[in-house]
Amino acid sequence: MKYRPYLSFSDLALCNLQRRPFRTAGLVILVALMSFVLFGGSLITYSLFSGTDALAKRLGADILIVPQGYDNKVEGILLRGEPSTFYMSDEWLSKIAEVDGVRAVSPQLFVASLNADCCAMPIQLIGFEQSTDFVIEPWIKTVLPGSLADEEIVVGGAISGKVGDTLKFFDRDYRIAAKMEKTGTGFDASIFMNIAAAEMAAADYETAGGAYPPPEGSISSVVVMVEDGFTANEVTRQINSDFHYGKSGIVVVPAKTIINNVSGSLRVLVIFIAALAGLLWILAVLVLAVVFSVMLNERKREFGILRSLGATRRRVSSLIFIESGVISAAGGMAGIFLAALLIIPFRNYIRDLVEIPYIQASAAWFAAMAFGCLLISFAVGPLASLFSVKRMNKNDAYTVIREGGL
Amino acid sequence: MILEAREIRKEYKRGGTLLQAVDDVSLELTEGEFVCLVGRSGSGKSTLLNILAGLLSPTSGSVSFEGRNYTEMDDEALSLLRNTRLGYIMQGHSVLPNFTVLQNVILPHVLFKRGGEPAERAAELLEDVGIRHLSSQYPHELSGGELRRVAIARALLSAPSLLIADEPTGDLDDETTADIMDLFAGLAEKGTAVLMVTHDTEAASRSHRILTMKAGRIVKAGL
Ligand SMILES: Nc1ncnc2c1ncn2[C@@H]1O[C@H](COP(=O)(O)OP(=O)(O)OP(=O)(O)O)[C@@H](O)[C@H]1O
Ligand SMILES: [Mg+2]
Repeated sequence: MKYRPYLSFSDLALCNLQRRPFRTAGLVILVALMSFVLFGGSLITYSLFSGTDALAKRLGADILIVPQGYDNKVEGILLRGEPSTFYMSDEWLSKIAEVDGVRAVSPQLFVASLNADCCAMPIQLIGFEQSTDFVIEPWIKTVLPGSLADEEIVVGGAISGKVGDTLKFFDRDYRIAAKMEKTGTGFDASIFMNIAAAEMAAADYETAGGAYPPPEGSISSVVVMVEDGFTANEVTRQINSDFHYGKSGIVVVPAKTIINNVSGSLRVLVIFIAALAGLLWILAVLVLAVVFSVMLNERKREFGILRSLGATRRRVSSLIFIESGVISAAGGMAGIFLAALLIIPFRNYIRDLVEIPYIQASAAWFAAMAFGCLLISFAVGPLASLFSVKRMNKNDAYTVIREGGL
Repeated sequence: MILEAREIRKEYKRGGTLLQAVDDVSLELTEGEFVCLVGRSGSGKSTLLNILAGLLSPTSGSVSFEGRNYTEMDDEALSLLRNTRLGYIMQGHSVLPNFTVLQNVILPHVLFKRGGEPAERAAELLEDVGIRHLSSQYPHELSGGELRRVAIARALLSAPSLLIADEPTGDLDDETTADIMDLFAGLAEKGTAVLMVTHDTEAASRSHRILTMKAGRIVKAGL
């Protein structure tokens, strides 16, 4: 500002910032670090929280019906993709469809592949009925052929291999016809085929030395979508009362229950991550408050001199707030920009890394969080200065000058 | 009457004991009066000057400036008074490091907006104190005596009716000191009241009246 002899009041703040580039840069970097942690942390925790929350939604089904005694297995299949094999009669499909409050049903047939030469990998093979399915289809990236041929499969998002590749199960080659979007559920590590193909695989399974053979007309589970206006719990109760709970040979599992079971352990982890981010953030704010008050303390003489020249307490305070506000705004924007820059390109990598249900924030949420973090970052500098300003304003100008050194 | 101080006391607590830095001082200054305050180091001169300038509140006693009592004025009014009516040159350095010499001199105008173009007047004042050529320099490029003269020019920007100066010629050579004393004497002639602390007897001899302080009291008028 060498060439502008006449200053406005806000120029004072800008001169102070400009003439002390290292101090200014240091403070900006500190605020940037803080907003980086704040924005990055909230983005990741948001994704994790909504990931666990929306798990039920992403399972696609409101209720699952499996043979009695296997309700804990279904959790492993749906959430972690743990292979298992169990059966019940397909009569249940039509029986369940009649129950009040049931809108749609679709059968699934589970076959576990083996960790042997016959198979590409030990994995959950799921047979599904394409015409009635409402669980798998929404997640398929590319358009699926009208109906899957017996040797065609749809692979989960976490399975390596692209459309057109072949995978071997029980010495049969299957062509990958489509690949699913990542769902953050056990689906990601599952392979889907039509029911007939799954039946064939189940027969192969027996030949390959697996467990008992599936009786004719078997399915492993019925996925249920409830009618609008009914809750999953109401329909669960209805099914239980219609088919004599405990004696029917089936067990009705609301998707929510599965989620709540996992939520227990998952939640702890997510809360831990959130707490860590929060702690880091509090630490950053504390450091910032200390640094600001040290910096302002060093500059007391400067502020006292301004008072001696006729600056009111209010003016000196606003000068400090303008300076810390500019620093905060610059740092906040830099930190959020940096966090976005890091998180957006690597979001898929982060999702794979955390290995738990993870939903990316929508653009609107992303923008809202960025804005919120910016507001907080913007406020943090002036807030950090507030304490020093208040203390300074209690004193006479001469006292402030003397405290600032001679 | 420009300035009237009645029974000013200032107590400091230092290491558990009470110290009377200023002890029952009363004084009056009229327009155009040029007064020097002398006394040994630690006798309370700076403390008194800061109280008179409204920068430090006394433990007891009252100060009125042009008939208005400081204790009855709020921060806004007192600040405006300091900004427009009172020039104050403090002991030690008082030039802000992030502004050029010229910017430092026009600071009072920046703090309270008012009409007029201060840059011209500032340049004149810098000419008067002999450092106009340093106008666009930053304080870290100046000598102690040059910095002192920046503070003098700045105190005069608003054409104050009272100039309070705490050892304004401390870092100056004899010749420059004489120039500054000429400047102050000239101001007094035009009606500005000047109250100045100095250890320089030669300089003090230019004043109309000399007050001597000792242990917080004004012990005599004269050296
Ligand atoms: N904030 C303070 N707390 C305690 N004692 C103080 C404080 N400020 C000044 N004093 C004491 O008050 C006395 C008067 O100080 P003052 O600065 O007014 O002296 P002075 O006459 O201006 O000295 P000098 O000629 O060295 O500038 C000194 O003894 C000093 O130690
Ligand atoms: Mg002194």
